[in-house]
Amino acid sequence: MLLLAIESSTGLVQPVREQVEGVASPVYFLAESPYLLAGQARSVFSIQSQLRERNLTLQRHILELTHISQQFVALKAENDRLRQLLGSQGRLPYEVLIAEVVGIVPNTGSFQVIVDKGADAGIQTGQPVLDASGLFGQVITVAPFSSRVLLLTDHNHAVPVQVNRNGVRSIAGGTGLRDRLELENVPVSADILEGDLLETSGLGGRFPTGYPVGVVVSVLVEPTSAYAQVVVKPSAELDRSRHVLVIFEPQVVAP
Amino acid sequence: MNPFTGGWVILMTLLMAMTLAVFRLPDGSPEWLGWFRPSWVLLILFFWAMELPHRIGLIAAWFMGLLMDGLQGEPLGLNGFLLASFTYVTWRFFERLRMYSVLQQCGVVLVLILLAQLVRAGTLYLASNQPFGFAMFGTVLSSTLLWPFIYLLLMRIRTSVRIE
Repeated sequence: MLLLAIESSTGLVQPVREQVEGVASPVYFLAESPYLLAGQARSVFSIQSQLRERNLTLQRHILELTHISQQFVALKAENDRLRQLLGSQGRLPYEVLIAEVVGIVPNTGSFQVIVDKGADAGIQTGQPVLDASGLFGQVITVAPFSSRVLLLTDHNHAVPVQVNRNGVRSIAGGTGLRDRLELENVPVSADILEGDLLETSGLGGRFPTGYPVGVVVSVLVEPTSAYAQVVVKPSAELDRSRHVLVIFEPQVVAP
Repeated sequence: MNPFTGGWVILMTLLMAMTLAVFRLPDGSPEWLGWFRPSWVLLILFFWAMELPHRIGLIAAWFMGLLMDGLQGEPLGLNGFLLASFTYVTWRFFERLRMYSVLQQCGVVLVLILLAQLVRAGTLYLASNQPFGFAMFGTVLSSTLLWPFIYLLLMRIRTSVRIE
C-alpha cells in the first residue's frame, strides 16, 4: 500500500490519478450544489433597483473597457509593424476558455481549486489559468469533466516574472500563504521598488507573456543577506473569483 | 437474513462524509475555521467498522481512501493506507470498543486520529514538501468533540434501519 504513495512521487501514476479523479469529481459538484442553489435563488429573488444599479455600473465598465481595447487594437497593429520591421515573429492571439470554479480543495497546506471543464473541452495539463485581474495558476490534472488548478500562491508553484517598469526578471514563488508571493534570489542591487507591477515574462514557455501577476508590497534588504526579500501581493482574486480563463496555446497557421 | 441489507445506508453515509470532507466554507468565513475541519470519513468508517466489522473490508476501505486521494489531490495511496490501517485497528479491538462508554471512545478516537494526522503530515512533507502545520491538531480536536454526536446519530440510523 505504501508502494503507491512512493510511486506517486515519480509521476508514473498520473493516468491512474486522472481516472480516480474522474470517478471522484462528482462529489465536488455535490458539495458545491448548496452554493449553486443559493446563487440561483439570489438571482431569481433580486430586487429590480439593485439589478438596474448593477446594470448601470456594468455598462459604464464596458464603456471604459471598449475605450481601452480601441487603443489596444491600434497599439497592437503598431507593435506588429515594428516587430515586422525588426524581423521578429509577431505575437499570436491566445484562445481562451471560460471555466467556473466548482470546488476548493479544503486542505490548509496547499491551494488548489476544481474547475468544471476537463478533457471534454480539450484542456491539457500545464495550461495557464487567469482570472479577471491577473494570473491565477495552472492546470495540474485533467479528469474527463473537471480539472484541478494549482494556484500561484501554493508553495509548490513558481512563475517567471519581469518588472513591468524596466524588465528586471525574476521568479515569483508561492509561499503557502493566501495573499503573498516572494521573489526568489533577488540581488540587493536589483531595481525593484515598492508598488512595481510584475507581469509574466514568458520565459520557460509555460505562461504567455505580459499578464499581470502581482504588485510588490515590500522590499526588505537585510545587511547580512546577499538577497533582497521581495514580497508580492497577487493581482488575481484568488479566494473570490468564480470564473476563470484557461489559456490555449495559439495554433500556428502556415502563411 | 439478507447479508446485503442496508448496504446502501453505509454507502450513503460514506458519500455524505466525502461530501462534507470537501465542502467549501462560505466566502468571507475566517481562515482559522478551515483548520477545524473534522476528518469525517475516518469518523464514519470508524463507526461502521466498530459496529459491523464483517461488513467493512480492508480492500473496500483502501479503495475509499483512493477516492479521497483523488478528491484532495494527495499522493495516491496515502488515504488508502490510513483508512485501511484505521479499519484494521478497529477490527482488532471492536469487542472492547463497543463496551466502552462514549467518552472512552472519544479518547480512542483522539489517539487514532492524532496518529493518522501525524502520518499524513509526515507523508505530505516527504512527498510534496508541505510544511508541518498546527492545523492538524485542530482536526484532531474537532473530530474528537464531534464523535459523540456522530455515534448517537449513526446508532439511531442503524437501529431504525436494522442493518446487521
